[in-house]
Amino acid sequence: MDTLARIKALAGKEFSLDASALDPAAPLDKLGIDSLSFIEFMFKVEEEFGVSVSDEDLKGIKTLGDLERHVASALSAAGKA
Amino acid sequence: MAERRVAVTGAGIVSPLGSSLEAFHAALCEARSGIGKLPAEIAGGSGVQVGARIDWTPTAFLKEAEAANLDRATQFALAAAAQAISAAGLDAASAGERAGVYWGSGLGGANTLEASYKQVYGAGEWRVRPLTVVMAMNNAAASNVAVKHGLRGPFANFATACSSSAMALGEAMRTIQAGRADAIVAGGSEALLAPGTLAAWQALRTLAPADASDPAASCKPFDKRRGGLVLGEGAAAFVLEDYARARARGAPILALLTGYGNSCDAAHMSRPDREGQVRAMREALAESQLAAGAIGYINAHGTATSVGDVVEAEAINAVFGHAAARLPVSSTKSLHGHLLGGAGALEFAAALLPLTRGWLPPTAFLEQPDPACGLRHVPLRAERVDPPRAVMSNSFAFGGSNVVLIAERA
Repeated sequence: MDTLARIKALAGKEFSLDASALDPAAPLDKLGIDSLSFIEFMFKVEEEFGVSVSDEDLKGIKTLGDLERHVASALSAAGKA
Repeated sequence: MAERRVAVTGAGIVSPLGSSLEAFHAALCEARSGIGKLPAEIAGGSGVQVGARIDWTPTAFLKEAEAANLDRATQFALAAAAQAISAAGLDAASAGERAGVYWGSGLGGANTLEASYKQVYGAGEWRVRPLTVVMAMNNAAASNVAVKHGLRGPFANFATACSSSAMALGEAMRTIQAGRADAIVAGGSEALLAPGTLAAWQALRTLAPADASDPAASCKPFDKRRGGLVLGEGAAAFVLEDYARARARGAPILALLTGYGNSCDAAHMSRPDREGQVRAMREALAESQLAAGAIGYINAHGTATSVGDVVEAEAINAVFGHAAARLPVSSTKSLHGHLLGGAGALEFAAALLPLTRGWLPPTAFLEQPDPACGLRHVPLRAERVDPPRAVMSNSFAFGGSNVVLIAERA
């Protein structure tokens, strides 16, 4: 499964949403994901991928697509992808 | 204008004796104990042998993802509040700013906090869940009830140990009487059966050991053989409502809440004080404007500690004098254990049993009454009675907080 598919699967489980219908370009609040829920979700994303997203980077994440790019670059920096 | 009266229009229960008011009352009538041996993963190395646990499947009530982000105590609270609101037929959304939440909790999200400490100190892993704070805070249960039902009016959360939820009911009554709300969801919850918390309780040397022949009979209030309290978990919620409004909308009226006494011993952190308890009972009687003889049942605090039961018996005798010899008193903690922050609300529900159904709930396992606890007990089995005019429920807490509630027949 590619990174985006894994993120969508995690989000589907965390927020009880249909993972396949999640639009990676949609603003998180449009998906019904508020800031507090997103921080808890990020915790699980970091566990899943074994990466760490800085507080500074976190502020720039507005969509699941943004998240995918951060995770992918963290993975590649760590030599995991 | 006459003072507004306060009706109880709905009740919800999540308890070791079942998870509805009907199931709870039925278990009390049958003297069915919810106390049992604690599993090893709950007791840990604490040495605590027995407790009153709920066999709880949150997904029967909440979505899995939702339940994962709510402490066990909050899950209980949401289930109890939903029952109460549904039973009352309260349209919470339309009541909006005129409906609130008053809640009681001893330790808040104890399981959540303990899980995070286990990770930090146990595993040396300092990455804890981001929701730890909002899941563990003492007002988490109350706030989640408010959010779930859109209750935007007066809000309060009481943390006075074993009197917390009785205080929530009493203060909610005052708030409605004062015209500051039309309806309040009032109650309390507790879920602290976790190894570290149990170790702290065990260190206090107030917990009963398991009864050698029957663990379900480990809590024996007022009995010569009593060995201390048994911790329990759960939640109880009520819809309290302006009586005139409840009548006008045709709501079911279980009882009226008419008396509330509140005092502090200001004497000791754990040793109860007779005079403080007497003051709280007298204040509740005075507020209800009832003669002492109108009280037909007392649900005692009765934790089954050696000192506590004697002091409460003395206090009841001081308040009721000669009438105490004919006034039925029982401690239902013998069956459901001590719910601490949730105890006052759950036991208020127990006290409604004689009023609404004409049954006195028993002090189970009371085979050898301690002469130092000179009361008219309801030993072993429930007793049939004509519904009395009024009942009293006592909640006396560590820290010296005393709360007494009086309910009257609707």
